[in-house]
Amino acid sequence: MTDGIVQLVPTAIVAGMFALFIFSGLRKRSSQATEYGFSGSYTGRVGIGAGIASNWMSAGSFLGLAGVFYMKGYFAMAYVVGWTGGYVLLLVLMASQIRRFGKFTAPDFVGFRYESETARTLAALISIIITVIYCVAQFRGIALLVSWLFGIAYIPAVIVGASLAVSFVVVSGALGANRNQKLQYFVLIITFILPLMLLTRKLGYFWILPQFGYGAAIGELQQQFGFNFSEPFASTTLFEWFALCFTLMFGTAGLPHVLSRFYMVPGIRDARWGVVWGLFFIALIYWSAPAYGVLARLFEARNGLPPQVGSADAADMVVITAAVLGGLPAWAVGLLAAGGMSAAFSTVAGLLMTGSASFSFDIYPRLIRPNASELDKSYAAKGFFLVLAAIVMVLTLQPWGMIAEIAAFAFALAGNTIFPAFLLGIWWPRANAAGAICGMLTGLMISFAPLLAGDRLPLLSHLFPLTSSAFIGAPLVMAVMIVISLLTSPPSAAIRLFVCRDVHNCHEE
Amino acid sequence: MDETSANKGFSFFKPRGATMRDEVRVIKLILSGWLIAIVGFQLIAYYLEASYSVLLLKNLTFFNLPLQFWLTGQFLPLWFIILCVLFNIWMDRHSAQSLEGSLRFRIKATSGEDE
Repeated sequence: MTDGIVQLVPTAIVAGMFALFIFSGLRKRSSQATEYGFSGSYTGRVGIGAGIASNWMSAGSFLGLAGVFYMKGYFAMAYVVGWTGGYVLLLVLMASQIRRFGKFTAPDFVGFRYESETARTLAALISIIITVIYCVAQFRGIALLVSWLFGIAYIPAVIVGASLAVSFVVVSGALGANRNQKLQYFVLIITFILPLMLLTRKLGYFWILPQFGYGAAIGELQQQFGFNFSEPFASTTLFEWFALCFTLMFGTAGLPHVLSRFYMVPGIRDARWGVVWGLFFIALIYWSAPAYGVLARLFEARNGLPPQVGSADAADMVVITAAVLGGLPAWAVGLLAAGGMSAAFSTVAGLLMTGSASFSFDIYPRLIRPNASELDKSYAAKGFFLVLAAIVMVLTLQPWGMIAEIAAFAFALAGNTIFPAFLLGIWWPRANAAGAICGMLTGLMISFAPLLAGDRLPLLSHLFPLTSSAFIGAPLVMAVMIVISLLTSPPSAAIRLFVCRDVHNCHEE
Repeated sequence: MDETSANKGFSFFKPRGATMRDEVRVIKLILSGWLIAIVGFQLIAYYLEASYSVLLLKNLTFFNLPLQFWLTGQFLPLWFIILCVLFNIWMDRHSAQSLEGSLRFRIKATSGEDE
């Protein structure tokens, strides 16, 4: 995609969109600003839902998902189901209970529930690792878009993209701009669906609901080009599908930045209904994403281009490719690029800020400098923000895989560590610190085992695939937590009483 | 409730108290609906592919979209939304008085920056 041509109109649209976000944030600055980055105006249930959805939308949803459809066909449905079904788990098992703990971050929760500084620090470390992996996926998306916009190669694009992302956070932070998440969500959904409607309309399909209209493209691909979508499990096994799907669901219910939406909502009932709206807004994107992957295939087949199934870079850019090959005007392609960019930027901003806050509150004063003052902590947060961004940038230089796959690895890690700690912490008062610490360590090992020892032990990477290890991993970690908890002394009566009475309201009648 | 009753313990599979028992029953129902739909649709697609070969699945289209795309890609996310709505309606009806009463952590968005 690097043809040395600067895409002028799309670049202008991307720049304009970021100006709009900063400007609209400035207008509301008097109302609130927090250094955590997950603040937002909670006005009503739809507003909470839009906040949940825009917090969730990342380069993985905007660019990555269509890429997996392009590359792997039906297998990518595991991402759609995993990234929506996780919210059912989150809603029924965790959302309102987390709220009743009255904590602010995942390490806070773990430290309070398990009454252990070690567990808290471990949870903070794991959150930071998850942040880094998740951000690598975002930086990859940013770099690919920058590389296309400015016509430069991938490696310099990573550096340019990273500097843009860091300066965006610094500038909007310095100006005191607040994230207007409702506006951001509605901009995202329009930039994603409007070009799709234009594309399907151009093809003469049912364009009012392109989510269904793309079926015609599947039919044409099958009849005229012999490209087959009707063998869902031809190249993958049921195990691979379920492992990925359930890993993503467990990860959704364990990602610190997703959980953080539920600590601070004003009321439990609004939080619950907010999840429904959020899920609906997320589903709107996921109903549409397969269409881009399928249409890109169709345009390539029509133009006689060979499908680039070997190239992860090309696959991650299919949303743009489909729009370009479909002959959309430059402004429409620009909208798509701007939407992808803003999805990635906002995720990066939120994650890096929570990551550095977590470092400055949970790790720095406990492990590095025991008597740090508030000023020290705030310097540590700023410094660590830059360190984190630099680590992510260096990691992004490596071609690890597709955006969605890198994101899935972060989900697997969250599903193997934070998810079991929260689930048992909420539903089983007997779970204690020793169990949680051993469980989270086991989860860490399971997640990284295929990366470190997968070559020597093929069975390991077969049972715990890098992107899908939580399917077996999470139950295994929970078993470890239960066994270790039962072997060691129970947690204090106070915390058991708290979980029983205040979290679950289990009065005997 | 006193400390001795906390010592008796509870868990997801051993709920205590009428409110919690009801809640856990609904959660189990919702999660069964969730699990059966996810696993069931994949088994249907797998079974059709394995036993009737490509022919049937190729022709099993509605509005040009193959059956498995409808079931998994379009219906499952919708089904999840329906499940969440059902859960919320039930929760609103049955636990309104007891749960909303225990809202002790009323936090305004402005106070999120300390801690």
